[in-house]
Order: sequence, then C-alpha cells, then structure tokens
Amino acid sequence: MPVLLAVVLLAALVVLAAACGSSTSTSSSPSAAATTSSGVLPSPTAGSSITVVYHYPAPPKSVLDQFTAQTGVKVNWVEVGWDNLQTKIATAATSNTYFADLTDVDWSKVGQYYKTKWFMPLNPYFDAAALKADMPQIYTFASNGQQLALPFDSSFTVTTLNTKIAKAAGVTGTPANLTDYTNALKQIKAKGAVPNQLDITFAAAEGLSTYWYQLTAAYGGQVLDASYAPVFTSPSSAGYKALQWMVDAYKSGLVPKANIGMADYQGFTSEMAPGRVASVFSDYSGSVGSIYDVPSSSKVVGQVQYIPTPGVSGPAPNLSNPDGVGIPKTAKNVAGALAFIKWFTDTQQQAIWAGLNGSSDVISGFPLPARVSSLQLLAKGNKVSGASELMTLLGSSRAEFPGPGAPPWYSQFSNAVYTNIHQAAVGAETVQQAVTNIATEVNQLKASQ
Amino acid sequence: MRGRSGARRVSRALLITLILVWSAFPIYWALNTSFTTLNGAQSVPAHFVPSPFTAQNYKTLLNSSGGVGNQFWRSFLNATIESGLATVLTVVIALFAAYAFARLEFRGKRIILVAVLATLLLPVYATLIPLYRIMSSVHLVNTYPGIILVYTSGFLPLAIWIMYNYFASVPRELEEAAFVDGATPVMTLWRVMIPVSLPGIAATAIIVFLMGWAQFIFPLVLSSDLTTQPVTVVVAALYGQRIVPFTLLNAVGVLAAALPGVIALVLNRYIVQGVMAGSIK
Amino acid sequence: MSGERTPTGRKRPRKRGRFLPYILLSPLVLFIGALALYPTILTTVQAFFTVNPMDPPTRFSGLANFRALFHNSFVRQSAANTALYIVVGVGLSTLFGLGIALVLQRRSRWRGVVLALVVLPWALPAVVESVIWGWIYDPTFGVLNSVLKSLGLINSDHVWIGIGRIVSIVLIELVQVWQITPLAALLILAALQSIPQELYEAARVDGAGRWEMFRRVTLPLVRPGLAVAMVESLILSLNVFDQVYVLNGFAPGGASIMMQTYQISFNNLNFGQGYALSLLATFATMLLSLLILAVVYRRVEF
Repeated sequence: MPVLLAVVLLAALVVLAAACGSSTSTSSSPSAAATTSSGVLPSPTAGSSITVVYHYPAPPKSVLDQFTAQTGVKVNWVEVGWDNLQTKIATAATSNTYFADLTDVDWSKVGQYYKTKWFMPLNPYFDAAALKADMPQIYTFASNGQQLALPFDSSFTVTTLNTKIAKAAGVTGTPANLTDYTNALKQIKAKGAVPNQLDITFAAAEGLSTYWYQLTAAYGGQVLDASYAPVFTSPSSAGYKALQWMVDAYKSGLVPKANIGMADYQGFTSEMAPGRVASVFSDYSGSVGSIYDVPSSSKVVGQVQYIPTPGVSGPAPNLSNPDGVGIPKTAKNVAGALAFIKWFTDTQQQAIWAGLNGSSDVISGFPLPARVSSLQLLAKGNKVSGASELMTLLGSSRAEFPGPGAPPWYSQFSNAVYTNIHQAAVGAETVQQAVTNIATEVNQLKASQ
Repeated sequence: MRGRSGARRVSRALLITLILVWSAFPIYWALNTSFTTLNGAQSVPAHFVPSPFTAQNYKTLLNSSGGVGNQFWRSFLNATIESGLATVLTVVIALFAAYAFARLEFRGKRIILVAVLATLLLPVYATLIPLYRIMSSVHLVNTYPGIILVYTSGFLPLAIWIMYNYFASVPRELEEAAFVDGATPVMTLWRVMIPVSLPGIAATAIIVFLMGWAQFIFPLVLSSDLTTQPVTVVVAALYGQRIVPFTLLNAVGVLAAALPGVIALVLNRYIVQGVMAGSIK
Repeated sequence: MSGERTPTGRKRPRKRGRFLPYILLSPLVLFIGALALYPTILTTVQAFFTVNPMDPPTRFSGLANFRALFHNSFVRQSAANTALYIVVGVGLSTLFGLGIALVLQRRSRWRGVVLALVVLPWALPAVVESVIWGWIYDPTFGVLNSVLKSLGLINSDHVWIGIGRIVSIVLIELVQVWQITPLAALLILAALQSIPQELYEAARVDGAGRWEMFRRVTLPLVRPGLAVAMVESLILSLNVFDQVYVLNGFAPGGASIMMQTYQISFNNLNFGQGYALSLLATFATMLLSLLILAVVYRRVEF
C-alpha cells in the first residue's frame, strides 16, 4: 500500500507539473543576423572531428583525408535517406540533442527553419551578396535576411529520355511540347519495345510532390500563389491538369504498376537504368552522369539524354531543387563545420564532386555544382555527361516558390500533396477529391499561422 | 497411442514438413538470394540454388572500413551492448521483485503485482512519445543509458512474470531447510532459489535479450545516428536507400538474423520452457 | 500481519523482514513508475493539450485533438486498416498456432529440432523479416510471382503490395503472423500439455472418437491457453509497425494506427494529437483484450 500510494502521489505531482508546464524546450536565440560578414572563419582545433549527416554517399576517403590534412579536422560522414533525415533533423532539434555538426537544409524547409530557429545563421562568416554571382541559388537558403545554409549543389528537375528506345519506336527528334511528348510515349508503347514507358514514382514521399510541381510548371502554372493560396482546384488550372495527367499515365499503363510503392531514386535505378522505361519526366539534374552512364549499375550507358522539359506550349521552366548544407544549433564543432562548408563548396571541390578528376573522386549521385565557376571548369574538361545541356537548362530554371520562398508549413503541405496524389493513383480518390483535400489542408495551415 | 496406422503417420509427417517449410522457407530464400549476384537473383524464373554462387556480398559486409560494412558492424555492436546490458539489468531487478512476490508477504503485494502485469497490456505508443520527451529532457537521447533504461522498463513485466512462475513452483521444502539453518530471506534467495531456478533465469535472460535485439520503433525514435543505432534501424534504412542491391540487402538480413537465430536454435530449450512456464497460471 | 511461521513454529525475524520486500521491489517500482506509469499518465493528460513545437506554447485544448483525429480521413483509414490487421493477425496466428501445437503435442525424437525451427521466426527482428519477405513479394523478381507463374495461376507479374488494399494488408500481416505464430503455438502447447491424460482415457472408454475427444476434452480445456495466445496476438497486431514501415511506408492504404501515430508525432511534430491517438488505441486494446478474455477464457473442471 504505502509504496503504491507514494507512486500515485508522485505521479499526481508530476501531472500537475506537466499541465502547468511551459512550451517545449526553446532553443537558445541564434547569433545576431548580421548583414555583412567579415568573411573570416574561426580556426578549427587540430585533432577535432565533425560529423556530417547527409543524404548523399560520402566522398571518397582519400579526398576527405585532404581536408583533414589541410585543417586537422577529421570528418565522420553518415549517409541517411532523405525522408529519414528530415525526421532525424526534426527530432534532434525538438529534443535539443546533438546529432550532427553539418546536415542537409532542404530548400523547402528554409522558411520553417527560420521560424523554429533550428539552424545557425551563417551571415557573420559568408558574404551572400558577394557570392551570389557565382552561386545563383544562394538566396534560396536565406529567409528574412538570415542565411541558414549554403548551396551544396544546384539540382533542378529535368526530363530525361532514352533516345535509343525512342528512335527504335520511330520517334524522331525531341518532343517540342507536352502533347508531342505524350504521343511519343504512346507510340513507344504501341511498338512494344518496353513494357512501360514512363517513370513516375508514386510512393507517399517527397519525390512525388516534386514531380507534381514540375508538371504544373509544364502546364504553365504554379501550385500556390504569392500569398500561398491554392490555385489548383479548378479543372482548368495547371495543377489540376498536371495531377490528372499523372494519374492517367498510371492508369493507362504508361507507368509500371509496381511504381505505386517506389520512391524517386528507386524508380531511376530499377526502371530507367535497366532500360525498362523510356523516360522520366521529372528526373534530377546529374542523373545521367551519376546513374545512367555508370556501367556497373546501368544497362543504358550512353542512351539517355536530357531534353528540354516539354511544356504545354514549348519548353517549360525547370524547377530548382538545390540541397543546402547548414549547421544545426546543437552542433559541437562549429569552427570545424564552418571550415568544412568553405572547403566543400569551393570552386575546385564542387567540380571534383561532379567528376572533374574522374569518377574515382565523385560523390555518387551528385548533381550539378552550385558554382558557375565549377560548371565552367567541367564544361571545359568535358567531364560531365550532358554538361552543356544542363548549363542551358540551369539558365532557365526558377524556384518553385519565387518571391516568398517555401512556406514555414511546407512539410505538412507536401505531406498532404504526396499522400493524396498517391491515393488518386491507387484509385482510392478521384482527382477532384485529391485536389480538394490538398486545398483544404492548405487553407487550414494558412489559417493556423 | 501405439500402433498408429500408416496413413496417420504419413499425414503427420506431411504436416510436420509443412510446418518446417513454413518456418524455414523465408530464411532459406534469404540465404539463396544473398549468395549470388544481382543478375543471378534477378533471373526469371527464380533460381532455387544460388547460381552463380558468390560470397561477395558477405565480403563487402565484413569489410568494416567500407560504408555499408562499417554501418552494419557498428549497429551490430550497438544492438548487442544495448540488449545485453538491458538484459542484465532487467534480470537482476526482476529476480529480486519476483522473489518478493513469490515468497514474501506484505501489504499491497497483490495490487503492485497486478499493476506491474497490467503494463503488459499497454500498447507501445502509450509510452513512446512521453518516453522520447522524458529522455530528451534529461539529455539521454542517442545514448546507451537512455536506450537501456527504456528497454529495461519495457521488459520488466514479462521478466517478472516468467520468474515469478519459476519461483512459485520451487518446492518450499528447500527453503524450509535453509530457514531451519538460520538463513535470512536474502540468503535463501542467494543460496537456494537462484541456483534451483537457473533454467528459469536463463530462459528469462534469453527471451529478454532476443526482444531487445528485435526492437525497432524505440531505437528509431531514440537514436539518431550510428552512435547508438541498432541493426534493425540500419537494415530498415538500407532498405529505403537509393541503390538497393537486393542481394546485399538479403546478406545484411542474414547476418542480422545470425545472432538471434543461433541463440534461438541452440538455446531453444530454455525459450520454450520459459514461455510455457509463463503461461500456466 | 504477523510474521510467517515455519512448520516448526519458529517465527521469522520481524524487524529485518518487514522492509525487505519493499527494498527488493524498489528498483522495479522506480522503473515502472518512472518509465511506464508516468509516461502513461502524461499521455492521458497531454492528449487534452496542444503540444506542438511549430505552435507553441503548450496549452489546454480540451477535445480539440480528438476532434481533429476523427475528422482526419487518413486516421480513420488507419483504424480500419488496423482492424483488418487484427482480424488476420489474431485469426491466423491462433489457427496455425493451434495446428502446430496439436501436431507437436506428442514427444518424439524430432520434436526438439522441429520446435527449434518453429521458434526461429519469433526470435528474429521483425524488420529483418520484413526485408526478407519484401524480396519474396517483389513484383518483378520475387519468388512468389515466379512460383505462381510457373504453376499457371497468374500470367503476368502481380503487384502485391500497394495496389489492392485488402491484399496488401493481408500479405503484410502474414509477415507478422509468421513471427508471432510460434508464440501462440507455445502458449497453446503449454495448455495442451496440462490436460490430464485420464480425461482422454475416460472419453475413450465412453466410446468417443478422435474428433469427439478433440471437441469435448481438448477444446474446452485449452481455452485458457487460446485466450492468452489471442490476447498476445491482439496486442502485437494492434501495435503492428515494423512490417508496415518497411513494406508499405506511409501510404494510407496500408498504414496502421501505430504508423499514423508516428507520422503525426514525428513528421508533423503534432505531439498533442499523437498522445490523443495513443490514448484511443490504448483503450481499444484494453477493451478488446477484456472481450477476448471474457468470451474465450474459461477454466473448465471435469
């Protein structure tokens, strides 16, 4: 009895404490968002180490060793899949736990991170204004003047086509617009060279949302307007048509049935790379060099090319999708992390990740470098498959949310998007229901801010 | 019954074969897939014997300096440490508690026993989120102690239940003899109960260790990187990663299953006794 | 309460003995109190609060979380999915477990080996099993399609998980059934072995055949074991997570309640709603467990 009583009393006290408790652990306020920087980085301690947690494989050890030789800092690189990584970032931040000195800052999360203060502003150390000319996408990672990350690549969504399969089916030239593209796919289907023609990956994950944004851009529109209101609910809107197109492609057999459970990279590696489909409408820049032209994992070496993304009335803009690297507020070795950012994003290294020194020093899957100067190095050395096409496409790329940037509630928005699109493809929802559901969620999220 | 008819014997053999196939087929298939190349595994129709045969996947994994190998062995170490220490802690605490429940009289005994066993009914998520927030507020997220404490609290009710049944079934005469010699209850526990119940204690330890090794959702939430991630989390992450050679993945699965599998096969007797003893009320 | 007396009448020393039980129990009570009871109370209380790092501060909000959950169609779907998971999980594991227990009742040379293999799936991590079964289910290269095609039962590769909602759930649950059947089998075996042989003899003398003996002796007396096995399977299938996470991800067509709770809490960071969902599921577990015990468990004396 006494023991039980004590336990219950203790519990009751704790309940009272919890009920009256204040909000969850708040972060220490970030360092002042200076608008100018000295450009001087603190020197890291020799013999210290940093942990980089990222969704790309590690650079080769020999290259990382060069960084250690230069700065005395050891690098511990952990690769975690993108969706998992976002969860880890969130859970570590909300629990105020150390988990990395450097990690991914996705372009879509910058608004959220400004609000939740999970990342250390880099303004005192890097002069964004000066870097902008060489790093066109640097401001994607700033919100309200705070530079929360530096771009680590300049990824954007592109359309890839297996020209060998297309030619064999009698498709001549490059599809000039969406209608031509769809017809080309149907023609390939009719010829029967490959069982399915198009790769769209319908797993309920971020890659599906990105695919929809790119298709919406191809239809000449956006999904949210400047005040984040949904503009895809009417059947004549770009977003609606894009969704309809995707669902129709699945239902008509252009897309393999098994794609319902596949996420983006799975589609590239198990459908496009083995030559089981002819095209990916919304691929990621760099995939030709890092996946399709790599003999050990691809059966279509030399067959896949980037083509201008076919829009409703001509080439469509490509949506930029860059990754950023930032320092979480719980990082332990800030000096080491800063030194790493500087090294990792400098002109030479960026070109090396993409293949300047040959395929032994690349980061597998690395898209385009973030710096224009690196791109020029690569184009000169002819080191990257499709480099000239990519540079052209980069020139016409734009952000998904130009102007205000991604909303702070982007994660929940994307969640609603990919879940409902998945349901529409499975047949559990009609396209109309899907857009209505997504729009309802958007309005709820807007209202709660 | 003696003299079973031939038909009965055949049908019995058939049933046993069915049971064996049901239990062992997936493991055999994982082995089959792991000892071949990607092309061999992807051949249509499927090969029932690995062809071509290669141990390359295992070589990749055993090379602990490479990416996957390093991830695997670190997580293997984590799982063993976390599960092992949690087992030790659980068994010790459960030992004392079960002895108290089985042999001592005191106020509130019934209620505490029922309360402890009632937590067996608690679904995982009744405690998942609060435990995560508790552990984070004491900065024990992603640390061995944090995970071990959580495991222990989760396994205690079952451990106590099994050991309580063992202790309760020990004949009292053994203790009476000790009492006559002037032993205190604690000495009796040490000198009589524990030695006699060693099979039960072993069973508890084995079952708890296996349960610890199989944990997924708790470490998924409580460990954010390889410092403490056990094998289960790494295996799931590899499955969802970009380039998934299924042959390598099955090799990882085989190795991940090796430790609990061997324990289950070799120490099977204890497991069976432990579960069955715990079910007789 | 006076001290216990041994048969020889000696009194156990009272002073030292009185606190001993509490000393022995204190670590246990500490653990259960701090890490099981307290979190449960926290869940219960904070289910009525808004707890969300994106929406501070933590504040009382009454039934708001519950209302939001009921209006969330994905949450409702996951509840329906979980109901199916439970039916399949409890049904199949009990059926197979009973079958295995009946076959293994008799002691034989092989029983030890067979038991070892039977127990094996239970000992392996569910995640590892899901990865292995995922490969078996793979639409293009999986052995399931391969075997079915060579048997002529299907003529093209079937996508098993992700398209048909019921098929997906059944197949995902099958992986869990594979894991929990050994437990059910052992529990039922224990009950079977505690049935006194004399009852079978008596029934035989009465002229009962095998089926009669099964129906009138075995089944009634094995009910306690069946009940315990079913409750165990209920708890495990209601909590199903690992298999769903690996094989299905967050797709609503197969998501279980546990997946939804995880998604709401750790992806959307809406811990308040996560607590509320946990609470509802806890109630459901207790209610269903009591239901099973009430209906199935019956101590029968002959």
